[in-house]
Amino acid sequence: MANLYQSLELIRPEIVLSIALIVLVIFDLIFHVDKKIIPYVALVGLIATGIFTLLNPQSGFAFQQTNLMGKIGIFAVDSFGNYFKILIIISSILIVLYSFSSEEINKIQERIGEYYALIFGMILGMFFIVSATDLILVYLSLELMSLSSYVLAGFTKLRDRNSEASLKYLIYGAVSSGLMLYGISLIYGLTGSTNFYIVNMILQIPNANQFTLAFANVLIFAGIGYKISSVPFHFWTPDVYEGAPITITTYLSVASKAAGFALLIRFIKTTFVSFSDSFGNWQVISSFDWKTLLIIISILTMTLGNFTALWQNNLKRLLAFSSIAHAGYLLLGVVVFSNGGVLAILIYFFVYLLMNYGAFLIVMLISNKSGSENIDDYDGLGYTSPLLAVSFVIFLVSLAGLPPTAGFIGKLYIFIALVDAKMITVAIIALLNTVVSLYYYVRIVKHMYLNKPTENTLTVKPNLGNTILTLVLVIPVLVFGIYFQPLVDWAKNSLNILGLM
Amino acid sequence: MLTEFGKIFIFIILAIIFVIITLFINKLIRPNRPTVEKQKVYECGENPEGSPWVKFNIRFYVVALIFLIFDVEVVLLFPWALVYKDFGVFGFVAGIIFLLVLGLGMAYEWRKGDLEWARPTPKPPKLDELLKKES
Repeated sequence: MANLYQSLELIRPEIVLSIALIVLVIFDLIFHVDKKIIPYVALVGLIATGIFTLLNPQSGFAFQQTNLMGKIGIFAVDSFGNYFKILIIISSILIVLYSFSSEEINKIQERIGEYYALIFGMILGMFFIVSATDLILVYLSLELMSLSSYVLAGFTKLRDRNSEASLKYLIYGAVSSGLMLYGISLIYGLTGSTNFYIVNMILQIPNANQFTLAFANVLIFAGIGYKISSVPFHFWTPDVYEGAPITITTYLSVASKAAGFALLIRFIKTTFVSFSDSFGNWQVISSFDWKTLLIIISILTMTLGNFTALWQNNLKRLLAFSSIAHAGYLLLGVVVFSNGGVLAILIYFFVYLLMNYGAFLIVMLISNKSGSENIDDYDGLGYTSPLLAVSFVIFLVSLAGLPPTAGFIGKLYIFIALVDAKMITVAIIALLNTVVSLYYYVRIVKHMYLNKPTENTLTVKPNLGNTILTLVLVIPVLVFGIYFQPLVDWAKNSLNILGLM
Repeated sequence: MLTEFGKIFIFIILAIIFVIITLFINKLIRPNRPTVEKQKVYECGENPEGSPWVKFNIRFYVVALIFLIFDVEVVLLFPWALVYKDFGVFGFVAGIIFLLVLGLGMAYEWRKGDLEWARPTPKPPKLDELLKKES
């Protein structure tokens, strides 16, 4: 009984989140006509959750039980999980702020209650994913997150593309989660447990079913790879990103990817690593060659993402392929199998959050005015709307990974981790990919500055709130490019992934 | 050496083959004299009226969905009712919270109008339209 109370204390952020979700639904029912108050309720709920996450210094297992191997639980609270939770909270707060000024969302004002309630459902799912240490909990929370996002992808119902996005997302999601469930069942059949720690214990004894284990791992990776949109599970990404309302596109490109990466790292670290030496290098259990699989997938992911992005004329689609490429870079942080790699991922994700949100904010503000996301809308924009154009250039340069922006620091740490692990060839391939990506980012800059403005050129003047929001995203991108020590320190303090007690 | 599942597998195959053979022999030796009455859709001896492929009102599906969700959720109360005494106040409060959230779902449906049954508005016959049809 005391055990249960203790567990509830550890999952306080999740409880606050659930209460906020219920309060949102109640407010939606009470204020039937005028729903202006609901975004503020959502903001208060998110800030409260953020405070509770920050005030959660304890680390430990919720819902733990004592068994032969010691104390193990299905929900690990540690600094690694808290880092990702804070990342998710920041991105959710930004999404609520974006929704204030998005034309698409303002058109569905009467359903705004459900919109925020579904976003909270997604956040709840992601919070459980980043902390889950049991395959059943992983699957349940993955479904909670996915089901909410399927609905959100087609939420506005303004165009046919919305429904197309939702349906495609649902079908791909159903297939990949089915594959993952099959993988989980195979793991359970091989080891007799779904808990990461017990599976780890049993896998340390060499067993005969190498092929089945490899098969199960590939299947589970299918489920995770779908969430982080890595090749060959990326097919949904461009269509969904293009069809979904832009706030949800932004959210999917950062938050749900963060949850997927947190799950991937925790799953590999706790299930397939026998010990980690004093330099933070992980010793992988020999039964399955994760390294080769992940190297191949990450190289394919970034190459395909970058090369397909070259031909895109729709900005949302272009950023979708760019986010696939970024998933490839981020996977490189996983393949080095060391704490240095995880550090690089943590830094990269925070930077990626800032720059991707910034780029999508500018695209949103411009498509509010023009009604489309075509690259021709940007012709001559640098002369008519200087603030937006300059910020957009900074975000794009950062996405390409050039100094003096934060994107450079993120890539730098990834390359340092790669060189430390003596994977020079992979590092060179990643570097060449960065060069390719430069082309399509600079192409947008060319449209904004080298094409002279005509009478058709848009003039976008953001209001005060959006100007502040743009500056809030631009300034850190520039500051972290030069003075990145606080970010690195924060990430270094967040490397603790709960091992066996 | 056959495992237990192997025996079941052979049993299933034998069952399928048995059914197929029986139906096939039936077809060979039965008399075949179709009449109009025999081929009609059976409707308790009446002549069938219209096509059986009727479109159902979409409301039925909404109600079925709501019923399904509540049904599955309420099933959780059975195990709770059996053991909540062992958990003491904690178990009781947990059950109450569950019921409150369930009630919120009900309130949501009510407020959003999913429980309203859209009735067809009756159209009283109008004299001038009838006269127009006559002429």
